[in-house]
Amino acid sequence: MKITILNGNPNTDNVKFDNYLKGLSGLLESNEHTVTVLQLREIDVRYCIGCFDCWVKTPGECKVADGSRHMCREYINSDLVLFASPITMGFTSALLKKAHEKLLPLLLPYLELVQNECHHVSRYQKYPLMGLLLEKSKGTDEEDVKIITDIYKRDAINFKTSFCFTKLTDDPVEEVANEINRI
Amino acid sequence: MKLTVFNGSPRGRKSTTKILLEHFINGFMTTDGNTYEMAYLNRVKDSDNFIKLFQEAEQVLLAFPLYCDAMPAMVKIFIESLEPLCDRADNPSIGFLVQSGFPEAIHSRYVERYLEKLARRLGCRYTGTVIKGSANRIEEQPGWMTRKVFKSFYELGKTFGETGEFDEQIVLKLAKPERLTAFQLWIFRLMLKTPLASYNWNKMLKENNAFKKRFAKPYAI
Repeated sequence: MKITILNGNPNTDNVKFDNYLKGLSGLLESNEHTVTVLQLREIDVRYCIGCFDCWVKTPGECKVADGSRHMCREYINSDLVLFASPITMGFTSALLKKAHEKLLPLLLPYLELVQNECHHVSRYQKYPLMGLLLEKSKGTDEEDVKIITDIYKRDAINFKTSFCFTKLTDDPVEEVANEINRI
Repeated sequence: MKLTVFNGSPRGRKSTTKILLEHFINGFMTTDGNTYEMAYLNRVKDSDNFIKLFQEAEQVLLAFPLYCDAMPAMVKIFIESLEPLCDRADNPSIGFLVQSGFPEAIHSRYVERYLEKLARRLGCRYTGTVIKGSANRIEEQPGWMTRKVFKSFYELGKTFGETGEFDEQIVLKLAKPERLTAFQLWIFRLMLKTPLASYNWNKMLKENNAFKKRFAKPYAI
C-alpha cells in the first residue's frame, strides 16, 4: 500500500511523538509498504478561508500556491492516510486541522445523498482509507478519544472513504503496524 | 449583562457567522444596560488580546462555521491558547453557535459534543450550542428565505440578553431539520435530477470562466 502519514505534531520538543512515527514508518516499509511522512510543521500551509475558489475559480486546486498542493497530491494517490497528532485541549492539533481543511479541493461543490444525508460529490474515483493515531496529553480521557474518533468517522463520509481505526501512541508500534497490515 | 463574542469564521467581517451574530446582538442589546464586545479570531496576530478578553469576560459566545466536521483551525488555535486557563475559578459562562451549509443539524452534532466537553474542561458554565444549517452565503439568499431565520436569531439574542440562557424552543427551531424527513428526501432526490441542484455553483463557475474545468482532477496520476 501507499501510505501517507500527516504528522500534526506542532512541537519540535515532542521528540517522542516523531520517533514513534519513525518507528512505525520503518516497520511499515519493512512490510513492503511505501510510506511518506509529511511533517506539517515544516510545510507552508495557509489557512482555508472558505472562499470556495477551489470549486468555482480554479477547480480542484487551492488558489494559494502553498504546500497544500503537494499534500493533496500525496493524499489522493494514497491507499491509506494516517492522521497523526498529539491531543491538545481534547482534539487533534490546530496544525493538523489546518492541513485537513485544505483537502477541500479534492471534492466537488455539488451535493448528493449519502446515507440519506447531504454530502459533497466525489471529484476523484478513489479516496484513501483513513486512520487516526493520537498521543494522549494531560487530562485526556476516553471520552476525548471517542469524540475525536466520531468526528473523523463523519469526515470519512465526506471524504468518500472508510474510517479504519484509532490507535494511541500508548499502543506498541508493532500493534499499529499490524493493524495497518491487516487492511 | 456583558457579552464577549468571538467570531471564529476565517472570513471574519465578511462572514455568514457575522450576519447571524448581528441579528443575535440586535436582540441582546434591547435589554437596558447590556453591552458586548466582538473579537474576530481570523486576526490571529491579536491572540494575546483574545486570551485577555476571555479572562475578563462574564459571558462568552464562540461562533464559527463547520469546517471538516469540526471547528476551523483558527478556532482551534484560540482554544489551545486557553489551556492555561483550564479550571481557573472565575472563568466565564460559555455558549456556542455553529453554522454550516448543509441543511441538516446532524452534521454539527459531533462538534457539539466536543464543545460541551470543552466547557467542562475549562470549568465554564455551559450555556449550550446553537446549530444552524443551510447558512452558507446567507447574505445572497432571498429575503423570504432568511426573514424568519434572522427574526429567530434576534429573539434568541433578546431572551439571552434577559436571562443569560438560550431559549430552548428557538434553539430547537433553528436546528431543524435534524435530518431530512422522508418528504424532504423525496424532494431532494427529485431536485438532484434537475439543473436546479447545481445552479448556483454552475453560475459561479461560468462567471469565472471555469465551467469547462469544473470536474478537473489536477492531482490524478
